[in-house]
Amino acid sequence: MFPVLKIDDLQTHFFTRTGIAKAIDGVGFHIDKGEIVCVVGESGCGKSMTALSVLRLVPHPGRIVGGEIWLDGQNLMAFSEREMREVRGDRVSMIFQEPMVSLNPAFTIGNQLIEAVRVHRKASRAEAWERSVEMLRRVDLPSPEARMNAYPHELSGGMRQRVMIAEALLLDPVLLLADEPTTALDVTVQAQVLDVMVRAARESGTAVMMITHNLAVVSEIADRVVVMYAGRVVEQGTTEEIFTRPAHPYTQGLLRAIPTLSTAAEDDAPRQPLYEMGGLVPSLTDLPPGCAFCPRCSAAIDLCAAQKPPAFPLGETHAAACWLRRTEG
Amino acid sequence: MLAYFLKRTVLMVPTLLLVALMVFLLVHLIPGDPAIVMVGAEADPAAIENIRRSLGLDQPLPIQFIDWFGRLLSGDFGKSITSGIPVLETILERFPTTLVLTTLAMLFSVAIAIPSGVLAAKFRNTGKDYLFMLVSLIGVSVPGFWLGLMGLLVFSVQLGWFPSSGYVPVWQDFWQGLNYMTLPSITLGFFMAAVVARMTRSSMLEVMRLEYVTHARAKGLSEWTVLLKHALKNAFAPTLTTIGIQYGMLLGGAVVTETVFGLPGLGRFVVQSIYGRDYPAVQGCILFIALVYMFVNLAVDVLYKVFDPRVKF
Amino acid sequence: MARFWANKAGVAGLAIIVVCILVAIFAPLLAPHDPLAIDISLQGMEPSEAYPFGNDEFGRDILSRVIYGARISLGISLFSVIFSLGLGVVLGAVAGFYGRGIDNAIMRVMDATMAFPAILLAIAIVAAMGSNMFNVVIALGIVYVPRFARIIRGAVISLKTREFVEAAISLGASDVAIIFRHILPNCLAPLIVQATAGFAYAILAESSLSFLGLGAPPPAPSWGNILSESKDFMLDNPMMTVYPGLAITFAVLGFNLLGDALRDILDPRLK
Repeated sequence: MFPVLKIDDLQTHFFTRTGIAKAIDGVGFHIDKGEIVCVVGESGCGKSMTALSVLRLVPHPGRIVGGEIWLDGQNLMAFSEREMREVRGDRVSMIFQEPMVSLNPAFTIGNQLIEAVRVHRKASRAEAWERSVEMLRRVDLPSPEARMNAYPHELSGGMRQRVMIAEALLLDPVLLLADEPTTALDVTVQAQVLDVMVRAARESGTAVMMITHNLAVVSEIADRVVVMYAGRVVEQGTTEEIFTRPAHPYTQGLLRAIPTLSTAAEDDAPRQPLYEMGGLVPSLTDLPPGCAFCPRCSAAIDLCAAQKPPAFPLGETHAAACWLRRTEG
Repeated sequence: MLAYFLKRTVLMVPTLLLVALMVFLLVHLIPGDPAIVMVGAEADPAAIENIRRSLGLDQPLPIQFIDWFGRLLSGDFGKSITSGIPVLETILERFPTTLVLTTLAMLFSVAIAIPSGVLAAKFRNTGKDYLFMLVSLIGVSVPGFWLGLMGLLVFSVQLGWFPSSGYVPVWQDFWQGLNYMTLPSITLGFFMAAVVARMTRSSMLEVMRLEYVTHARAKGLSEWTVLLKHALKNAFAPTLTTIGIQYGMLLGGAVVTETVFGLPGLGRFVVQSIYGRDYPAVQGCILFIALVYMFVNLAVDVLYKVFDPRVKF
Repeated sequence: MARFWANKAGVAGLAIIVVCILVAIFAPLLAPHDPLAIDISLQGMEPSEAYPFGNDEFGRDILSRVIYGARISLGISLFSVIFSLGLGVVLGAVAGFYGRGIDNAIMRVMDATMAFPAILLAIAIVAAMGSNMFNVVIALGIVYVPRFARIIRGAVISLKTREFVEAAISLGASDVAIIFRHILPNCLAPLIVQATAGFAYAILAESSLSFLGLGAPPPAPSWGNILSESKDFMLDNPMMTVYPGLAITFAVLGFNLLGDALRDILDPRLK
């Protein structure tokens, strides 16, 4: 059995005028069939670029310069552009962060959904219409027939994101890439939309790679968690492992920063926002030679600044890229 | 849509009044006595007096304007001093040629501008794009009438592809007429083509950065569908506004182009009337062209909604 | 500034403009002959060693006329941009500062001005006022007044309520002082971009006017005039038509290159 998605030493770099920005610098993890894996980290850590890399839609001036991406045992890096087009939207679909700008304002909802069906399936307009309406109903969009003729600007943010979810799951993909799908929504509808997405994905057996920085969400929906920092995976494990036994100082810091969870905050230290972890995310064009988190890490040793830590296994499913965990492996 | 059209037309009235006022005041920019300027100082004093009276120049200015405007509303654009023919009659006789010329020029420019703008955006920052930028920059730098002269030299005189003189209206003999119109409309439309192409390129680039374009790609659409359906429809709205504004450039440029090619359109008539100091005719033509231009832009605003459904009527 | 020097197109545009300005300034040194000297014996001569561009219907040296043409064409466009900038700033500032009725009246007139095709308005004004240099400058400048006025008006309205301007007003600074010290520096970028476009427009429009016999009055060797005079000899001496047209294109290209580069640098939103 192949995992649905297996990413191996992925490197996506941006060739800018000021230098090469290593947006993704050796990322590796996998997602099994029907699994929900959350990728967490601060903005700019390469989470979204990882999703776009899977679809091979990295925007200019970025380029995948190394690594492998396997979908169901097939190496996507070896696919032609035409073969990639058959993957996109059919076997792998994506939900974007901003429903205000991710739906095309110039076309009706129906037009965009029908297009999504007909680009991959031989279906008549009527069949595609039927299928779209049914899918809109599954994501709890009220009066789906009428919405088909609406333009995106006529819907609320929550409704638009339901449309996006419907479109993404229209063809029962094996993998759904969800890039912070609820961040832009009102807090009141976030939970509903998330719920609809998870339920619909579970129903169709679709594995989900969910990108988020909201750890409360992660604890609710994720089977496993991948923690990224400055274009690298610093720690991964099951949700339980990450939340109860965080091994990387960065993960520990992340957990301390969420107000609703106190598992990691044993001491009575005041809860600090993330950016007060001390220092800033290093510039991706000028990463330190050792561990990228080293300049902000209070536990750093000499080795951290000098050499990049590999991922040290801490258990069957748990691993952390931290020199402090070397002996435990 | 009709309601919006009517509402916009009503909103246009103050501007329209001002435009009329400005055209009216034109005659009063003439230094000295307009009547003498029109018929010449050596003319018979009785003739001068006659002109003065027939144009109402002996009345106070506000009365003159009200009179003039009242007659305009009833479709009376005044009479030509030189020929005595009602100006509107000549305008309506001459305008079709100008309309055909400017419409062909517009069609030509849009037909080459939009594809090349889209291609330049697709191949941005490559050699093809730089070549496009260079050609379009030269396009907005070349005087259209000079291009017309060069076109005459090369294609009519040297190569003999097009007639270098004479004129047959398209409504008499379509292909023959088209033959006479090709060179004028291409040289007239060249500038506009460059402007519209540059606009298409930059609004395509603007749109292609947006998330819905990435979304369209993530659906598995081909790059051409993404560009021509998802990006272009959005990029076209600002381009359409440019086309509307540029139509005014065509109407203005037609004055010179018609002179270069000897086409009997409204523009040529304006120039002839200026040479003949036939101010009522000049006023009538300029007002008429301004009206046409305003209505074209009104139509463009209404059309805009088709490409950008977010616009509220 | 460093970003400008990195923009090759912009630097090329600036270089073209500098060349044109130098030619205009040093025309008497560069021109081999008097641009106005009539010599019937040289009427319509083909290009020769002494007269590389040939001679026109009056036997005048076309090369010298094209060189002197830079003075007239650039001069007219310079003054028309100054005129429209000056009037535009005054009208825009008045409209923005006093608001309400005055604003409405001024901006309505600006709208009406924009309702005419640009060249046509210029033609009409020159037709009425007569074609001399001064009137041509006014006619070409009028068209650009609304564009400058809109920029200034927008800047005044958005800056009027900002603290530093309010402070200046409460300290009793005069309106003129506020405009020059606070408003203008804050909308310099769009003004410069618009002014560059104004130059390009003015050179093109002046050549059209001259071609119709409504520009700088003959025998002044404006590029449009040379073209206009050449059109009857076009078949015998085509190059006579080619050179002034190239000169116009060259100069306008310079301003367009510079304008594009400045827009890219000053307005990073567009690219």
